[in-house]
Amino acid sequence: MTLRRSMLFVPGSSAAMLSTAFIFKPDSVMFDLEDAVSLREKDAARLLVYRTLKMPLYDGIERVVRINPLSSPFGHDDLQAAVRGGADVIRLPKTNTADEVHELEAAVAEVERDCGREVGSTRLMAAIESASGVVNATSIATASPRIVGIALAGFDYVMDMQTTRGDGTELFYARCAVLHAARAAEIDAFDVVFPDLNDEEGFMKEVELIKRLGFNGKSLINPRQIELLHNAYAPTQEDVDYARRVVAAAEQAEADGLGVISLNGKMVDAPVVENAKRVLNRAAASGLRK
Amino acid sequence: MARRYFHKAKVVTEDLQFYTVNPISNRVERKDIEQLLARCGLSYEEQIEAFVVCRDGNELVACAGLQKDIIKDVAIDPDYRGGAMSLKLVSEITYLAHSRGLDLLFVYTEPKNAEFFRGCGFYDLVEVPDRVTLLENTPIGIRSYCAKLARQRVAGEKIGCVVANANPFTLGHRYLIEQAAKACDWLHLFMVREDVSLFSYKDRYYLAQENIRGIPNVTLHEGSHYMISRATFPCYFFKDRGIVGKCRTAVDLLLFRNHIAPALGVTHRFVGTEPFCPTTNKYNTDMKVWLQEDVSKAPPIKVVEIERTQRNGLAISASEVRRLLRKGEMERIRDMVPPATFDLLESKYAALARPVTDT
Amino acid sequence: MELKQESLAGTLESSDLFIRISPSDEPLEVVINSEVGHQFGDQIRAAVVETLEMLKVTKGIVIVEDKGALDCTIRARVHAAAMRAAGVTEVDWEALS
Repeated sequence: MTLRRSMLFVPGSSAAMLSTAFIFKPDSVMFDLEDAVSLREKDAARLLVYRTLKMPLYDGIERVVRINPLSSPFGHDDLQAAVRGGADVIRLPKTNTADEVHELEAAVAEVERDCGREVGSTRLMAAIESASGVVNATSIATASPRIVGIALAGFDYVMDMQTTRGDGTELFYARCAVLHAARAAEIDAFDVVFPDLNDEEGFMKEVELIKRLGFNGKSLINPRQIELLHNAYAPTQEDVDYARRVVAAAEQAEADGLGVISLNGKMVDAPVVENAKRVLNRAAASGLRK
Repeated sequence: MARRYFHKAKVVTEDLQFYTVNPISNRVERKDIEQLLARCGLSYEEQIEAFVVCRDGNELVACAGLQKDIIKDVAIDPDYRGGAMSLKLVSEITYLAHSRGLDLLFVYTEPKNAEFFRGCGFYDLVEVPDRVTLLENTPIGIRSYCAKLARQRVAGEKIGCVVANANPFTLGHRYLIEQAAKACDWLHLFMVREDVSLFSYKDRYYLAQENIRGIPNVTLHEGSHYMISRATFPCYFFKDRGIVGKCRTAVDLLLFRNHIAPALGVTHRFVGTEPFCPTTNKYNTDMKVWLQEDVSKAPPIKVVEIERTQRNGLAISASEVRRLLRKGEMERIRDMVPPATFDLLESKYAALARPVTDT
Repeated sequence: MELKQESLAGTLESSDLFIRISPSDEPLEVVINSEVGHQFGDQIRAAVVETLEMLKVTKGIVIVEDKGALDCTIRARVHAAAMRAAGVTEVDWEALS
């Protein structure tokens, strides 16, 4: 089970950040070739990201590369750098339809074949940044077996909706739609970047909300938020104690050859066991909530 | 994107945007630049053609300006100093210059602030103690230039040098060069390279080439950034306030004494007396200080002034030739210039005779 | 790769390097100024020269201001600067891998 609580954005043009961001230990790092890179630096960023991917700097951290749209003059070159470099996941920005995912899937497979990488080994993630993307979220989430998650991107979305970022009301429908599409497709769901870098209280409020809704995690641009986010997602001692008993009961039932798991005299369903395993996994990853 | 994650600075993260501003067309940006400069104790330099600025949100926190190949008005808000800002700012101004076709860049600074630029890929060219340091953005600029010059070194006890703009080349120039060549074992003649005069560098160089024929011991050199250029002698090319204005002639002359003269083994520098042009007159006076006196570790260079030739009781000067050219008085010019100059004036410049800003 | 124009790549920021490449008729001249030059000067030079060799750049002047860049950064910056100087926009991925 891969934890994807934090996805740290790193501008692909910043050598300083590419060569140091691993020290913050995010679950995933997203090397950005798109909006964070100026037109002047698109060529150089591609080479930097490629070379960085080739180094063992980010061991244990999932490496995502956000490419430019395939319809732009940069998308296909970005893909070469990312797939050949060995990126774990390609993040497609501004995804509006399932067809765009199909197009990406074909392009990725071609590069995989060209460079001798196992076809299918590059995973995909689609970012939803418009009203039509939100409306099509279900078909996007199920467009390819390579898709491991969909992410909502707030900045472009609120503009498309003719509104601005506020207390979260403006994202209410989009969050629910993206999350339902992800859960129905059995993939992960990521929430938007929190825009105010210095508002810790506001950040924590938003984290509580998206965790309650059921998001796997959030995109981040401030590395200081990683620890806060991981802590918020960390289970309490109480959660862990209960999860341990659930898992122990499940193991007991299996050892005894029983089809039914019971805890404290009550029957426990399979999803409860799955959830308990997730809790233990998170506890192992980040420790208990402080 | 947010920067400065890795520096223990007052501001932990910030949303820094760098971009280019045309200060002439954008009054809003210019006002903010002026305010930042004032906060940093600097004054706005009118001749700056483009700025790189940095904003943190709405706040203008850094700027650097470009006047041709000279970086000016570099200012960083005190809250943003000490981190990566200076390095980012100098990187961006270098890219801006590159996009304008300029790669060799210069900066004037007070000697106490020179370290800032040394940390940003700039290297000392010359320092006028307690007044100004001129730096260039390459470790091999002056060095490789002097290495090339050294290949044209000629052995001798008395090696002379003349630096001329020759706008255009007159009989006065011919006389000066002849006299100088007679007085020494070998003479090096440099043409001022900047293309801001009425006559183009190409034409001025061609005329020098034609008009020094018959003088056996002279080498004609291409001019360079390091000799009476916008960079080394800005006051000659534009009126300047601030630090660049203050240094006047010292930078150019010390650069000659410390680098160029040793490369060629120059012992004497020859100049014509200059009754008409105050800038050139001042330059000649200053020459005696900066080349001869104990102001540098490099050996002194003797300054030799040669009286101008006269024609009908008037000293021949290039400015007089330009004046006559504008008035269309070609016949009077004939007496003042060698045949090659006259031919070129007649064929190329006579038709253009109309008021032109000149230097 | 034939160099046609002066080019820049990188920045002067920490962990990066700033590189300037100029065309020239002389054999390659590489000048490196590094904060960690006394310790890593040879490695930095090797990374610069190897990358230029891979790109078949044999003539030109290369000036590097290193601010403690990792090997991967050095190679990426040199590569970008050489492509810009040569006016080449397509990366030869096969040569790279």
